[in-house]
Amino acid sequence: MAKEDTPITELEQDDEEDDFDDEDDEQEDEEEEEEEEEEPVLTPESRKRAERARMEETFHRISSETVPLRVHDVLIKGNKKTKESLIESEIEALKTANSVQELLQAAAIANARLQKLDVFDSVNITLDSGPPELPGTCNVIVQVLETKNPITGDIGIFTKPEARSWSFEGSLKLKNLFGYGDLWDGSLSYGWDQTSEVSAGVSLPRFMRLFTPVMARISLLSQDWLKFSSYKERSLGLSLGLLSTKNHDLAYNLSWRTLTDPSQMASESIRRQLGHGLLSHLKYTFKIDRRNSPLRPTRGFAFVAASQVGGIFPDYRSLRFVRQEFDIRYALPLGFARAALNFGIAGGVLFPWGSEFMNKPTTLPDRFFLGGNSSPVCTLGGPTSLLGFKTRGLGPSEPKREVKKSSEDTNSDTCERDFLGGDLATTAFADLSFDLPLKVLRDSNIHAHAFACAGSLTKITENSFRDFSFQKYRDSFRCSAGFGLIVPTKLFRMEVNYCHILRQHEHDQAKTGVQFSFSSPL
Amino acid sequence: MEEPIEGEHQQHLTLVTRKSCFGLPTACPSCLPVYIYLKLANVPFDLCYNLTFPDSDQIPYVDSDTYVAYNNEKGGVIESLKEDNIVNLDSDVQDLPEWVSTIAMINSWLSDAMLYELWVGSDGSSAHKIYYSDLPWPIGKVLYLKQVYTVKQLLGISKDNAERREEEIYRRATIAYKALSTRLGEDSFFSDNRPTSLDAIFLGHALVTLYALPETSVLRGKLLEQPNLVIYADKHKAQLLDVASSSSSDPSSSIPRRGPSNWSSKPKSQPKRERTQEEKFFRRKAKYFLITQMVAVLVFLSLLGGSDDTEADDADGDEGFDYE
Repeated sequence: MAKEDTPITELEQDDEEDDFDDEDDEQEDEEEEEEEEEEPVLTPESRKRAERARMEETFHRISSETVPLRVHDVLIKGNKKTKESLIESEIEALKTANSVQELLQAAAIANARLQKLDVFDSVNITLDSGPPELPGTCNVIVQVLETKNPITGDIGIFTKPEARSWSFEGSLKLKNLFGYGDLWDGSLSYGWDQTSEVSAGVSLPRFMRLFTPVMARISLLSQDWLKFSSYKERSLGLSLGLLSTKNHDLAYNLSWRTLTDPSQMASESIRRQLGHGLLSHLKYTFKIDRRNSPLRPTRGFAFVAASQVGGIFPDYRSLRFVRQEFDIRYALPLGFARAALNFGIAGGVLFPWGSEFMNKPTTLPDRFFLGGNSSPVCTLGGPTSLLGFKTRGLGPSEPKREVKKSSEDTNSDTCERDFLGGDLATTAFADLSFDLPLKVLRDSNIHAHAFACAGSLTKITENSFRDFSFQKYRDSFRCSAGFGLIVPTKLFRMEVNYCHILRQHEHDQAKTGVQFSFSSPL
Repeated sequence: MEEPIEGEHQQHLTLVTRKSCFGLPTACPSCLPVYIYLKLANVPFDLCYNLTFPDSDQIPYVDSDTYVAYNNEKGGVIESLKEDNIVNLDSDVQDLPEWVSTIAMINSWLSDAMLYELWVGSDGSSAHKIYYSDLPWPIGKVLYLKQVYTVKQLLGISKDNAERREEEIYRRATIAYKALSTRLGEDSFFSDNRPTSLDAIFLGHALVTLYALPETSVLRGKLLEQPNLVIYADKHKAQLLDVASSSSSDPSSSIPRRGPSNWSSKPKSQPKRERTQEEKFFRRKAKYFLITQMVAVLVFLSLLGGSDDTEADDADGDEGFDYE
């Protein structure tokens, strides 16, 4: 707002000279008359002093009472490419302001909104006096400076020590190509043995009469799950962000998804799922986050609920499912050593719909998978993490295909299993974080924590829910506990934990010991 | 029928193929031979359909717990089943040069002709029904076009040589049918009156040609020129149908989704198909007839109504005139 302060001050000076003398304020008129009489005698210094006094008085007046003022005209300058209608729609509130206070507030909001469009290098809003024949009015001048270089690019190589993989990522952004505040971007990310994505998208700050930004994105995503579940997923899709506000988000996605198994080692359930599918789903997310920090929350709560309905349009043969997940977090300050108790519970359920839905399996990539070393405190958005368990390291599994290469190594591949994911997932955690008694660590925000987590992943489709009992559900829970050191940085949170597995099932992949984990709240 | 030669895999087999249509348990030219092979071997098996992966070379496959015999490994499912000692009908003949060369001829010349017929030589309606009818529209369309392109590449067809290649493919198919016809004679099977994989492979090809390809198909016409082959195919089809329908109560053996009426032998089903075609034609004609009748009635009514009005107008006018 610093850019804005100076012009507003200018406004006040202008007002003093031009506007306010026209107002129905006798006192002011008298002052000005006196000023005019005294003017020839005054030295520049005393004149300055008088001006300052007058300004102070005006400020005092603005802060103490409502000063009526109407906007006569809004002038937009400096937009060579940007459409005037876009800027006008962002500064709409200015025109309806009825007082100086309202106008200042509206100007601050309009400035922030214009800056947020990300297509201007600078935005200045100046409030000028209105035409002399219309007392009590002012003109608003919006001076924008468009970005000189509309192309920006990022490039980088990222490593994930936890997964022992690295990826190359690059993106190119084109701003304001058609003058509608449109942001075009293309990005490429290539991960060795993992996930690759090529995508291009456009976002418009407003489309037709919609007040929220609209986003469209085409992407080609390739994910490799051969190691964990013997399949590769390739998906070519179009996603549309229909509504996006602080708490609500509505998005539509249409994609062509192909599951293949180049290794030819898939287990029976995976093998039956290979093929093409059209995914057409609508996803609504409600999110509220009142925690004081996403990396080290010590106070507040967060709630996320996401509902997804698949198979709505345009073809009846597209994949039909309903997916619901929720996540609740609460951080309780304990009042000493910045200690806080964080706890959370997350759950999700997936079910197919349509004819014979009772007997149908759910589609593999939509299922829930637990495990991986991401911090449960950081990852908000559904049941995903369970410390101590490897990525996709628990839940229903099946033996992979058995290939006997020779008579000697008959037992070579027998232990390998495919993790199939579950339709009902629940996770819960409690985490006590506190500062360590060393000043160096405290200053750099390095702190310690002790945690316990539990999670369950079960299958309920294909009539499995008929044998579902509370006892079985309770038995399906896996638990782990441990302690560790947390190093939060600006971008991510690093944890070094000692994790002890309290409860696991026969085929789970879990390990008691020291683990590193990196998680980003973004 | 030959007793199955069962090896160490005693588990129940499941055959995964493309969907059932045209009155066949599966109309995919690479899946049907495997189905017939297992039927000829009298092995109990389940039949499952994969409806979403038309471009996979893994289909058909036979699996049983952790054992899988894929189509794209070890020379195909039948060869894998033989190699792994699960089902082997060819133990006595597989080294005979005539037998091997006949298999090679079917797998090359006749299979090329089938590819050409399904993807290039016809309007693609059969291919669409066999492979894409359960896929959402854009995916089915794109995969069809991709497959047409691939087949053209595979058969070496370009704009310049299309006609010559077509001629060549059909010429080879004719030679093959003639040779097979001579070899079969009036026997029930190709070798020594016992079923081998050669019977399964040829029956698969012949039944798809006779039942799944359109009636205008050139390849179908070439096959019909060899009556003993047609009789052979129909006889086995009826036998397989009998097996399938008699075991319908048996849950281990799967039944094609179509009723047994579609499983009748060719001379019966042929006129039936023609009748349905005729019916369709008559229905369409009837529709046109009704529409034209409707239009005629409407025109008649409007003209009649119009003439009434004019008459009334005239009468009024007359009256008015009279009054004046």
